[in-house]
Formats: sequence, structure tokens, C-alpha cells
Amino acid sequence: MSKLTSSTWFQQSIRLLHHELRKGELTIVFLAIVLAVATVFSLTGFSDQVKQALTTNSVNTLAADRVLKTSTVITDDILAETKRYGFNFAKKVQLKSMVFSTDNMLLTDLDIVTSDYPLRGDLLVSRTSDLQNAISVKSPEVGEVWVDQAVLGRMEINIGDKVDIGVASFTIAGVIVNIPDRSFASVFSNPTIIMNNDDLDKTELIQPGSRISYRYLFSGDNDDLIAFGEWIKPKLNEAQDWIDVKSSQSRIGRTLNTAEKFLSLASMLGIVLAAIAVAVASRRYGQRHKPTVAVFKALGATNKHIQKVYVLHWSLLSVISILTGLAVGYGLLQLGAYGIEKYLSLSSSTLTLRPFTIAVVTGLICAIAFAIHPISKLIATSPIAVIKGFEEKSSSKLNIYQAIPLMALFLLLYIFSNDLVMSASLLFGGIVVSVILLFIGKFLMGLGRTAGTKAGKSLHLAFANLKRRANENSVQLVSFTLAIKLLLLITVMKSSILNEWQLQMPEGTPNHYLINITNDEVPKIAKFAEENNIVTQGFFQVFRGRLSAINGEATIKVDKGSENDDEQSSEGRRGVGRELSLTWQEELSPSTQVVQGQWWDVSDTNPQVSVEESIAEKLDIHLGDQLTFTIGSDEFTVPVTSIRDVNWQSRQLNFYMIFNKATFSDIDSTSLSAWRVAEETKPLMFDFLSQYPSISVIDIDAIMKQLTTMVDQMSIAIELILILVVLAGSLVLIAQVQASMEERERELAILRTLGAKGALLRNSVLFEFVALGAIAGLMASIAMEIAVFFLQTQVFDMKFSLHLEFWLIGITAGAAFVGFIGMLSCWRLLSLSSVTLIRRTM
Amino acid sequence: MSLLQPVNLQVNAGETLAIVGSSGSGKTTLLSILAGLDLPTTGEVYIKNQPLHQFNEEQRSEVRAKHVGFIFQQFLLINSLTALENVMLPAELANIEDAKEKGVELLKQVGLSDRLEHFPSQLSGGEQQRVAIARAFISQPDILFADEPTGNLDTKTGKYIADLLFDLNTRLGTTLVLVTHDPKLAARCKRQVRMDSGVLTEVVKELKAENDQENSGESHLENQNERNKLELGEGQICPN
Repeated sequence: MSKLTSSTWFQQSIRLLHHELRKGELTIVFLAIVLAVATVFSLTGFSDQVKQALTTNSVNTLAADRVLKTSTVITDDILAETKRYGFNFAKKVQLKSMVFSTDNMLLTDLDIVTSDYPLRGDLLVSRTSDLQNAISVKSPEVGEVWVDQAVLGRMEINIGDKVDIGVASFTIAGVIVNIPDRSFASVFSNPTIIMNNDDLDKTELIQPGSRISYRYLFSGDNDDLIAFGEWIKPKLNEAQDWIDVKSSQSRIGRTLNTAEKFLSLASMLGIVLAAIAVAVASRRYGQRHKPTVAVFKALGATNKHIQKVYVLHWSLLSVISILTGLAVGYGLLQLGAYGIEKYLSLSSSTLTLRPFTIAVVTGLICAIAFAIHPISKLIATSPIAVIKGFEEKSSSKLNIYQAIPLMALFLLLYIFSNDLVMSASLLFGGIVVSVILLFIGKFLMGLGRTAGTKAGKSLHLAFANLKRRANENSVQLVSFTLAIKLLLLITVMKSSILNEWQLQMPEGTPNHYLINITNDEVPKIAKFAEENNIVTQGFFQVFRGRLSAINGEATIKVDKGSENDDEQSSEGRRGVGRELSLTWQEELSPSTQVVQGQWWDVSDTNPQVSVEESIAEKLDIHLGDQLTFTIGSDEFTVPVTSIRDVNWQSRQLNFYMIFNKATFSDIDSTSLSAWRVAEETKPLMFDFLSQYPSISVIDIDAIMKQLTTMVDQMSIAIELILILVVLAGSLVLIAQVQASMEERERELAILRTLGAKGALLRNSVLFEFVALGAIAGLMASIAMEIAVFFLQTQVFDMKFSLHLEFWLIGITAGAAFVGFIGMLSCWRLLSLSSVTLIRRTM
Repeated sequence: MSLLQPVNLQVNAGETLAIVGSSGSGKTTLLSILAGLDLPTTGEVYIKNQPLHQFNEEQRSEVRAKHVGFIFQQFLLINSLTALENVMLPAELANIEDAKEKGVELLKQVGLSDRLEHFPSQLSGGEQQRVAIARAFISQPDILFADEPTGNLDTKTGKYIADLLFDLNTRLGTTLVLVTHDPKLAARCKRQVRMDSGVLTEVVKELKAENDQENSGESHLENQNERNKLELGEGQICPN
């Protein structure tokens, strides 16, 4: 007996699945789960890979995964701890030293590195004078050094020549083309020489009082590095820094941080949308099956029997869907990887188990948690419904079944993000935002209905439908709002910040700095620039000097952390303990404006200084203060007559301290110029400048290229993920439309019967979706603007600007896209002849 | 398979006609064809001398919007529209002015003046059918088709709805074609035809006199000159 029963429910279940799949009734549920699994699988796998690639590429700016920067040798217990973890380890000692050749001498920055340096990124050195032949190397051999091109030029020596550093002699074995952790600031200082750490002692350079900084480089397992970081941070003093590429040390670091958060957020949005699609589709499924269950029960099937039939049915469906989802996800992953191959070098792209596990768990959660409410309601259908009908009693009370999806969502977010706080805040933040959006959305739909009543017939019908389905529509509204908002945000931020930052540099933004130009050379160099249409910002006489006193009070405090790889950071760590580049100027630069005091008159012969606003604020310098500067052995005191607001974003040459010409009348110096050199002019320029070996040329293009690539990589990653999010949103929309299909069919039939023409019906459906999309676009634009406001004012330190053109894009794109998807999913219905429609309904 | 045998039926303006017959006899098919919802495979259908059988869907829609009203067993109100908006709909489709005033007035006549802004889901079955009746009359159709208008209602409500229907019909002088298997409802029509396995036969009325008393003369006066010709010619009528 029991055998018979079990085979009965089994057969019924299989039969049900077979029929349902063939009829296409399960397509939406199937697709929804496939989508959820595929999205999660590909997103996780992809963003893991992208994150990996981003991190690999950007650690190049550290030459390691983590760096401990100190001014003293680290203690043995720290070394012991690093050994315990088994990190790869390298050391870089940095100090300034004079270097001597037979005829010349030069002050250089010495980088003394151990044989494993660099741990990440490429140290590129050319062993010949042709810099194109650079190869990636580790530290130089003992007894050899690598030098910046400028060293050769200024000292009039060549590869193979000898130089003396300290009390030792070295052979120049190559020319440095790229130092992976060269800081932005260092391009303004002395040329660099790289030496092997084993040679350090014999130079006898390290003496008591030498100004030395040590960089300890680590690479290894990320979790270990994090643990080690936690261990070491409390032990650090003022003069020590634990640096990872993601710590908010630099602008690059901050951007990377934001990008990673963004990737996670976008991925989570994808999951939530997929889950919603499952929920919507399974709800419809439950309602459609109620008559079947009622008839089954009326014919005597037990609850248990029904339970078995549907649980098996649903389980089979889930398994099929999850497997398909994995396959599709894998395909997407490969496609995505292929798509960005030329932008990103995905490191060996070995798939970890993580995306696989997360995807399967997601699939199961979606199939169970988001379907349990409708399915259990379906199983509980009373046989009396056969007689009484299937009126859905909607209770607004939150019961345990409705709480399950919420808990499941939280679980999903947690599994996905591995961050309890982030998951919780996302869930509750999401709920709050959704409720607000819901409210606004309903309000707008209501507003539209009122307006629609006075407008044309199809618009009237469209808005009436929109409002009637407000609850269902709100879900779509929220998802599309978020998707459109993210898209807008990216577009706006990309064009307003990232591009401003590096790509859309204004015409003539310098890409080369020329340093150390003697006064005699200036006219000839200027003439060359003019003849070759090179945009220059003129020549600035540069004096390296210290701000030694403010109002007679000596400034002795040295800023912690001294170096920042971002010369222009407005919260600059650069303190007064460091040398500043000083210059004089007669006219105010265009990217600058005086905010206090007054720019001097050219004829004014009283020495005076104009101070940049942020440093003035930091050092508490006010108009009228007397500043004392020391240049070499000279010392002079000048009053502050103006404070300038400098637009560092403009990337024009600018200075913290600018003096009038009279201040420097009798101090010798060299000049600095910034040039915009076209690619094709470069060889000519280098050829010309070879006559002036003492001039150093710094190629900003290379540094810019690094930034550009990184920003590009991030935006591509974000865009790809957003495409998937939009797809998920579309499936939610289609599922929703499917769920409203019977209702729509009935309405169309009635309208047809009453004599409505085809165009009216088509328009009313079209307008409904277009309005939905437009409302989503409008809300997205508002949300985007708020987000941009915070980003611009809080994160990027820019002036807030409205982006009305993007509102237009958001609204139009939303209307077009949702309109298109909506029409697409209603197409079958609209193409039915009215006879068929009417017959089906009556 | 042929659903209808050759049928020749002419309904005059102001006439009330009941099509009776058992389930599956082809009543509703006939009604659909008469109303221009469906097309006969062969034969001719005219409403107000317009050849529906020659018209495409759009043209038939126009004819329906201008000349035809409907009442269904399942009421078929549009759930996203309020009672008033449902009533106004045909008037709007037929580009009739002051649809709102007319709608309000009609809802008042069916006793729903306090339900104007209610949605169908907030109304009882009887109330929904009253809205449907108001909707059917708003565009002052020349001919009104009713498919089992009381079929989904209890006897008492059904009687009330029927009263309302005939009352409005009389007052507005509309031609009425109703399909029903309720003999009492059928008996209230001046003329009855019976559908039996696709064959249409005229029923001789025994209670004719009774109904004559109910019908006032007004409608005849108004519509005497007009003739609604519904004619199905030679041949069979099959579903598409």
C-alpha cells in the first residue's frame, strides 16, 4: 500500500514537472533561479577575478602587498613575526647622498634594496642607452648600480662608468626606466640611484644623524597579511606607517577602496533582484496551481500527498535550474573574462570554490526561501475553494513566512559580503530606501493618474493601470531606480571626476616637467618650445627652501608620515619640516584665484609672499603674518599679502608659496617648466634636449598612464557588473508582467469589446511602461544627484554641480528601456486578435 | 464543425429580443457574431446598415464604440478604474462629450451615486452589474447585447438588475438582444428565439400581452424610423 502511494505521488510529481515545463508555465521560475545562480556565480567569480587583477595591478604602486615605513630599523620581534608567517620580504633603504664621478658630483636619492626587491610590479632597467630595451629585474648585483637617465646627463657619464658613493665605488650597469613604487612627489626631487643592500655597509653612508627612511616590503597570503597588520598596528609609533594599497593613504588607495565597495554593492543588488524575480514568479505559480490542488483535495488527496508531490516537483525544478544556472554563469564568466582580456590581465583566472558554493547556496535559498510562502499557501489550499472560489485574501500582517525571505536575504548578503555590519546595514538601509522610494513612486504614479485623467485616453488607461498595480510596480520601480541610479552615478562620476582627474585634461595639460634649466638656457629652450608648438606654462625659477619661522616662531614640528605619493593632496601631509619648491611670479596663474588680500603689483619692490589656501589653513597662517624662509644659507622674512585658492585638479604647475620677483632679486637658481608635448614631437624634444645634459625631463605620461589604466579597469568592471544588474532587473519586470498577464488579457478583451481600437490598446500598454521607466529614471536622477553631491563634496573635494543633462539621459533611458522590455513581454498579448482575446475571456 | 445552421434574423429598432436555449447550443456564438465581436465564416451581418462582415477589426471596433453596448454575465469591469471611470469608458472611446456628467447621472439612476470612486473589488456582485449596466447605456447605444446578465447573481439581485435593465431600456428606447436560459427573464422580452444545436426558431409568446403593458410607447416614437438590421444570410456559420 505504502509502495503504491509513494509511487503515485512520485509519478504525479514527475508528470506535473513534465507538463509544466512543456507548457512553459515554469519558465519564469526556472529562468529566475537560473538567473540568480548565473548572476551570483558569474558576478562573484568575475568580481573576484577583477578584484584580484585590480589589486595585483595597483600593488605595483607599493612594489609589495604591504609596506611598513619607518625611520629606524625595525625590532627583532617584528622580524620574527614576519618569519613566522612566511611572508616574502624585501627592504628598501632611502637616503640622500652625493655621488661623484671623475669630473662631477650630484645630489641623488639612493634606493638601497635587498635582492628580492620588488615583490610586486616591475623594476624596469635598460642595460644600454636605448631605453626601449628595458627589462624587468630585481636588485642590482653587488658592486653595480642602476641610475636615472638624469644622472648620466648631469654627470656626463655613461653606462659602464664608475661612480663613487660614500667611500665605495660602483659600476653603472643600467638606466632605470620604471621604479614600481616611485612616488609622485619624488619626480620633483633628485635623480635616483638603486644599489644592492649588501653594498650599503661598505659605503659607510649611515652615520648617526643621517636622515634615512626604511621601507619593509611584504607579500604573501592576504589573510595572513591582514592578521599581521592587526598585530603590528598597535606597536607603531608616530614615525611609522603600515601601508596597504587599500588603506586611505593616497587618492589611488581611496579610489580603489570605493571601487571594491561598489563592486560588492552592485553584485548584491544583482542577487536581491534575482531573488525578487523568484519570489514574484513563484507567487504566480502558487496562485495558478490553487485550482489543481483544490480539485486534487476535493477528490480525496491528503495534505501529505500534496506536500510530497509539490516538494518533489519543486526540488527537481530547483536542481535543474541551479545546474543550468551554473552552466550559464560559467559561460558568462568566460565571456566576461574574454571581454576584458585586453584591458585587464586576469591572473591565471583559476576559479576558486567560493563562487561555486555561493551560487549553489543562493540558488537553494532563492528556490526555497523565496518560494516557501506561496508554495505552503498552495499546499494549504482548502478543497472548499472548488466551490467558493479562490479569492486571494491579502493580509498586510507580517507573518513568519513573509519574514523568511528577509532572513534569507540577510543570509545571502552575509555569505556574499562576509561582512555582518555591511549586510545588516545594506538590508535595513535597503528596506528604508525602498520604502522611501515606494512612497515617492506611489505618489508619482498617483500624480500621473490625476494628470492622466485629464490627458488622452491611452494615457489615462496607462496611469490607471500603473496605479492599480502600484504595489507590484513599486518593486520594479525600486529595482529600476537603483539600477538606473548606479548607471547614472558611474557615468556622472566617470565624466566629472575620473576624467577630470586624468583623461579629459584640459588642452595643454603638461605631460613633461623640465627641471634644472639654467638662466642662460631658458631663452633657447623657450625658443625651441615655441618653434615646435609645444604648450608651456612659462618658466618658473625654483628655489628649494624651508619655511623656518612664522611670525618669528620657529617651525620645528615635522609631520608624521612625511611622504605622500600625491603631491597635490589638499590635506597634504607635507609639513614645514620639509623643503618646499618656491618661486616668484608676476601674474596670477589662470587656475588660481586670490581669496584673501591682494595680488601684488608688478612694480611693487617690497618682498612678499602669497600662500596657498589649504596649507595656510593647516599651518594657521593669516594675512599679514611674517614668514621666514631658508634657502641654503640665505634667510629672509616676507609678509603674507595674499592667500590663493588653487585648483589642483587643473594639473597646471602650481606652488604653495609664491613670491614677487623682488624677493629673489639676488638669489641664484635654476628654472622649471611644464610642457605639453605631442607624441610625435617627443623624439625631437629628447634630441634637442640632449644638448643640455643637465636638464632633467620627467615624463608624466608614464605616471598618468598607470592612473588611467587603473581607472579604466575599475569602470569596465563596474559597467560589466551593471549590465548583469540591468538584466536581473529586466527579468523582474518580465516576471511581474507575466504575473499580471491574466489581468491584462481580461482588460484588453473588455476594452476591445467596448470598441477600443488596437492603437489605443497598444499605446496604453506602451505608456504604462514608459511612464514606469520614466518615473524610475526621475527618481534615479534625484538619488544620483544626492549621491554625487556627497561624493563630490565629501570624497573628491570638488565643487558640487548639477547634472541636468544626466537627468534627461536617466529619464529617457529608463522610459525607453522599461518601455521596450514591457512591450516585448506584452507583445504576444497585444498581437492576439480581438476575437481570440474576447473568446478567451468570455 | 459548423456551430450554427443557416440563420436569418432581423431585429428592429427598439425591439427586445431574447435568445434562449440550453448550454452549448450556440447562443453566445450567435451573440458574438451579431455584436461584431466574431465573424461568420459565411453570411452577412449588418448593424445600422453597416456590413460588419466586410469590416476589419478596427472598423468593427468603431461600430461597437458608436452603436453597441454590452452587459456580461461576469460583469467584466476594469479593475484599475473606478466605478465612474468604468462607466465613462465607452463614452470616451466614442468621443462623447461630458462623459463625466453622463456617468454620474447614470450611476445615480442605478442607485450608486455614493459609489462613484469605488473600485470594482470594493463592490458587491449586484453593484458591479449595476455599474456594468450604467456603462452599457452611457454611449446611448442603438443596440444593447446582454449575455446572461443575471447569471452570476442571486434571484433577488437578479430580479433587481433585470428591472433596472428593462427600465433603462424602455426609457432610452434601446434595442435589446439578450442571451439567457432563464425563462422568466426571457419572458420579459417582446420577442424570443430559441437556439437548439445551431438551429434558430421563433418562439411564439404566450405572455406577450403582459409585456406589452410594461413597454411604454415612448421608445417606439423615437426609434420608429430606424431599423437595425441583423441578418445572417445563406450558409453556415463556423468559428474561425
